[in-house]
Amino acid sequence: MAEYETFIGLEIHIQLLTETKIFCGCKSKFGDEPNSNVCPVCLGYPGVLPALNEEAVRLSYIVCRAMNCRLSENAMFERKNYFYPDLTKNYQITQFSNPFGRGGAFEYESGDEIKKINFHEIHLEEDAGKMIHQGGKSLCDYNRAGTCLLEIVTEPEFKTGQEAEDFLQAFRRTVRHLGVCDGNMEEGSLRCDANISINTPGMGLGRKVEVKNLNSSRFVKKALGYERKRQEKVISSGGIIVQETRLWDEDRSVTRSMRSKEQAHDYRYFPEPDLPPFRPDKNFFAMIENSLVELPLTRRQRLVECLKLTPDQADYICEEKALADFFEKTVGLGADPQLSVKWLMGNAAKELNRTGFQKADLGSEGCPLSAERLTELLMMLADNKIHGKIAAKTLTAVFDENKNPAAIIKENGWENAADDGDLKVIVQKILDENPKAVEQIKGGDEKPRGFIVGKVMAATKGTANPQSVQSLIMKLTS
Amino acid sequence: MEQDDLIITAAQAQLELSAEEEGRLAAAVTEMLDYFSKMSEVDVDNLAPTTHALVTDNALRTDTPNQNNNQKELVDRAPDNENNFIVIPNVL
Ligand SMILES: [Zn+2]
Repeated sequence: MAEYETFIGLEIHIQLLTETKIFCGCKSKFGDEPNSNVCPVCLGYPGVLPALNEEAVRLSYIVCRAMNCRLSENAMFERKNYFYPDLTKNYQITQFSNPFGRGGAFEYESGDEIKKINFHEIHLEEDAGKMIHQGGKSLCDYNRAGTCLLEIVTEPEFKTGQEAEDFLQAFRRTVRHLGVCDGNMEEGSLRCDANISINTPGMGLGRKVEVKNLNSSRFVKKALGYERKRQEKVISSGGIIVQETRLWDEDRSVTRSMRSKEQAHDYRYFPEPDLPPFRPDKNFFAMIENSLVELPLTRRQRLVECLKLTPDQADYICEEKALADFFEKTVGLGADPQLSVKWLMGNAAKELNRTGFQKADLGSEGCPLSAERLTELLMMLADNKIHGKIAAKTLTAVFDENKNPAAIIKENGWENAADDGDLKVIVQKILDENPKAVEQIKGGDEKPRGFIVGKVMAATKGTANPQSVQSLIMKLTS
Repeated sequence: MEQDDLIITAAQAQLELSAEEEGRLAAAVTEMLDYFSKMSEVDVDNLAPTTHALVTDNALRTDTPNQNNNQKELVDRAPDNENNFIVIPNVL
């Protein structure tokens, strides 16, 4: 069905990780009692004055800069007028004529290719409250009203739902890396709407339909795939696409028309008289430059090229900034990159899971596993002071006892059964005690080998390196 | 003012007008608009719009929570509330 060209654009809203709301000092927090974080400003009482949160501005400019936008030197706020009780003022304060960022582009991976998406603009606005509709009533909770919301609008350049989904995931990783948003789609701190149109190739954009309710990145591809097919069917059968907003119905896997009123919205934007324009100076822009971090895609490529991680390993490590930082710290401290990544993907991940920590907690104060501790453990392993099973046991103990690996190993006498000399004596002794087994081994029977290894392991309380034991048995029975 | 414009404006202001009101208001609103149309006679071609009477420096606030304990009172002032929610007629 390559008869038509598809144009998809995304509108992404992210809740910025500020302590307080955009125009008042109320806490910006998810999950509190209804209307516990409200004040006259965010409830729209008459006579109040909004005051812009400097951290919201800083985080917004960081995103604009990371997306390579043109940064505004004269940003304005406007009132967008609409009547709906999710905002009590009858208008939303947003940016219209001079948003913080315009233009810009971002590279992301889709399949095996690096693709590029251009942005239309990025602007800051206040979020709306939440409502529960039941029976004849609507219950309003304004805890979210006035929280800091950054809207990122892409150009309609995605050709498939897959591209849109790949971009969304890369974007989510990036804002988490930048530390500006937690990216939690279930809790709504990252929300996504899409617009999609199809047309005969070469004819430009078609009539666009907005698709809302894409609150999981998985829905993006499904909803857009469905919507493209629906539009193809309408046009192929001689129909006309209605410009409208449709909701994705995940249960039935269809988009449904919202049947909104006929006439287009007229929000009657006008400059917000209560907020002066924001005119950043040189120092502000320098501070934004300093706040930038290496973005996941670049970092991933560097880890593959410089530290020889496989692409899958690099993907895993770069999923979380905290994990990537932790990994690079262990390497900086002297851990072997391959050993470190294997342990982070294996036993360390298992231990984090068991003890209720997240990968993002690595390197934080509350987490027993520090980069120093993991490096200490991995270096003992690399130096053959302990073997793998003991290292795993030690890692568990690090989480349970919150102590350094070297101390744990010492306390428990878990060092590799001494040097080869000591081990040789032990193996010889066990062989001497089991002449029948020795006879069988010499006769080519492999079975008693395991029995001897077991005896040696018991005698050394599990500290002997099984491979060394094997080779000693081989040597001493030949 | 055209009848259509009046109906659209009323809809955006969430007003329901009867046919009688529509007739009466169309005339009244036209009169008001004529009165203000005097302003469009002024030549503003080379003027930047004035958006603020007083533009001072960037007015920013630090990101620190304030302590206000009047949430209950603020919710109580709404016409109806229930379990901390403000209650309104169903708008869905
Ligand atoms: Zn407030």
